[in-house]
Amino acid sequence: MSRMLDDASLGWRSGPSLPGWQGLSRALQHHGQCLGLRALDGLAEGAALQLAHPDLHPVHMRFVAPPGLPLESTSEFIQQAACGLMSVHGRASGRPQALGVDYLAALNAALAWQASLAAAVGQLRGGQFTQVSLDPLRGGLLSIGQYLAGATAPEDAERLLPGQDDALARPPFVSLEGTAFELETLDSQPWRHFWHALGLPDSLAGKAWQHFLLRYAKAVAPMPAECLDALARLPLAQIRQQARASGVALVVLRSPAQRQADADYPASLHTPWRLTPGPQAPLRPAPRPAALPLQGLRVLESCRRIQGPLAGHLLALLGAEVIRLEPPGGDPLRHMPPCADGCSVRFDALNHLKTVREVDIKSAAGRAEIHALCADADVFLHNWAPGKAAELGLDAADLQLARPGLVHAYAGGWGDAPVSAPGTDFTVQAWSGVAERIARASGTRGGTLFTALDVLGGVISAQGICAALLDRSLHGRGNQVHSSLLGAADLLLATPCNSTPPSLLQGVFETGDGLLALDCQTRQQWQALGQLLGGTCTPAELPRRLASADARHWQTRCQQAGIAASQVHQDLACLANDPRLADCFGQRAYRSVQSPWSFT
Amino acid sequence: MSVSVIVPTLLRPLTDGQKQVQAQGGTVRHIIEHLDSRYPGIKARLVKDDQVHRFVNIYVNDDDIRFADGLATPIRPGDQLTVLPAVAGG
Repeated sequence: MSRMLDDASLGWRSGPSLPGWQGLSRALQHHGQCLGLRALDGLAEGAALQLAHPDLHPVHMRFVAPPGLPLESTSEFIQQAACGLMSVHGRASGRPQALGVDYLAALNAALAWQASLAAAVGQLRGGQFTQVSLDPLRGGLLSIGQYLAGATAPEDAERLLPGQDDALARPPFVSLEGTAFELETLDSQPWRHFWHALGLPDSLAGKAWQHFLLRYAKAVAPMPAECLDALARLPLAQIRQQARASGVALVVLRSPAQRQADADYPASLHTPWRLTPGPQAPLRPAPRPAALPLQGLRVLESCRRIQGPLAGHLLALLGAEVIRLEPPGGDPLRHMPPCADGCSVRFDALNHLKTVREVDIKSAAGRAEIHALCADADVFLHNWAPGKAAELGLDAADLQLARPGLVHAYAGGWGDAPVSAPGTDFTVQAWSGVAERIARASGTRGGTLFTALDVLGGVISAQGICAALLDRSLHGRGNQVHSSLLGAADLLLATPCNSTPPSLLQGVFETGDGLLALDCQTRQQWQALGQLLGGTCTPAELPRRLASADARHWQTRCQQAGIAASQVHQDLACLANDPRLADCFGQRAYRSVQSPWSFT
Repeated sequence: MSVSVIVPTLLRPLTDGQKQVQAQGGTVRHIIEHLDSRYPGIKARLVKDDQVHRFVNIYVNDDDIRFADGLATPIRPGDQLTVLPAVAGG
């Protein structure tokens, strides 16, 4: 199997693990293997990872944290609590709770690697960039950026709280046999046809559609009981037949083991990216990047929704100039409420660092314009439907005629998996086993309505692009790099989940005022908690013991005692006012999230 | 018959910044045509080839007109029409 980064001189070593967050170290290790980097002997001193090459000063990547959330007493569980992820997941899972997968470990490992790779690119272009720091809390906040924007919009802000909807009255749906499955269509008419054929009134299908349509944006999707009951009376085969006749995709929830038996799984597990070297292309002279490593590089982005735009946003945060190619009239997502200054805040959260150029890719003139733009670009990123780039004459080979050194990137859905359904967050969660794993941990029937894979897929796409840029810098050639939501899902489940050994006490508990997440992983922490609360206590007793003070008080006291703890803000608007996070937000009309990295 | 129409941010430049306007007509199509006569350009933002634009949803009270009679959906006194831009998929 070919290596992602085909350069035997590139090596790396990891630093010491964070005591309570072993999953982060495992994820860093796994990403290093997937990137094809040679593991060097010894531990990196004072850094979480060190990247080395004969042409580089070693790049040192460190994790940093705000004073209110020290790294030495943090964990996956506490990070998911502190950044609001539990609350977003809780909107449709009954209560604020963790995803049950090491999501922020995978996400932050990808962010750590992409910044390190970008720093190496910056050095090879004449910059310094030997020190990189990453705040994993900001990484977590970035993952919920669009929900945070919606909750803090100046007008019509969304107040969606955990547990407000029935956790069983939402997709996935369940057949007579008890099989859970996702339905997917991006158009209303197949949806209407499907329910009509099952004998439900159109008005009811319309009400269901309203929520189904917005589940990507709001992380809730309450379905009318009549819809759920109608499906629960039918065998899966009959539902499948009707879905096919209506043009609605149906994907059954599979287990991780089923996914691991797929023919395309081993390759996807080995690397979530497919890097294909292109033509030789001497590097062009360019200004030396000063503050950020990708300064002076130009990215053309033709992407909709979350995955691709998030990848472009991350490249912009690393200093690249990102030009969004939008259809004539602009991206329709710009108008999706809530809005500020005439623009959707959730759209703005992912796109405010970019400039926009309206291009009609369906016209010959538009395609010629893209070819012309590529002559001065370094990266072309798209997330069109499979085969569309070739059909439009905008594939890697086409655009590398205009710019041989171009990195042509595709942020897709299914990778090489033989699935015909639309590759969206929820269908891929179902197919990959991620939904089943999250359902088991959350006590629900399906995965999370937080767009976990769109976000991770966007981060993975940007990581692959940084690796491709490094390959280009080292070997003087263009290339193409493919990534997918399914690759992100496989990466997420690749490392064993949960803490090792399991926590002695982990949960979200009521206090006198507000919720507190606690994660005692060691006997020492368990004993310290007992001392703090006046005696060893069971989870059932904790709310009574914590009733004498509010969550912020207990968070401080626990941290002073070395116990991993965090307040859980159920309303994301409160998260935005948490003093621990004060430095994490930008000055826009809503709470935007600052870059998780800094470079020196 | 006069009904109120909730105007999204997208269209407020055409309605002098108003978030809610009044319009007359017996169907959604008539309402939109009446709106267009008062606020020129609004119809082109909502309708194309006699269909509601793909990324625009129109509700009569809480009911999506795509699940009723589309632009021919009847309007009764006291109804409220809401225009909501939305895009499916993540």
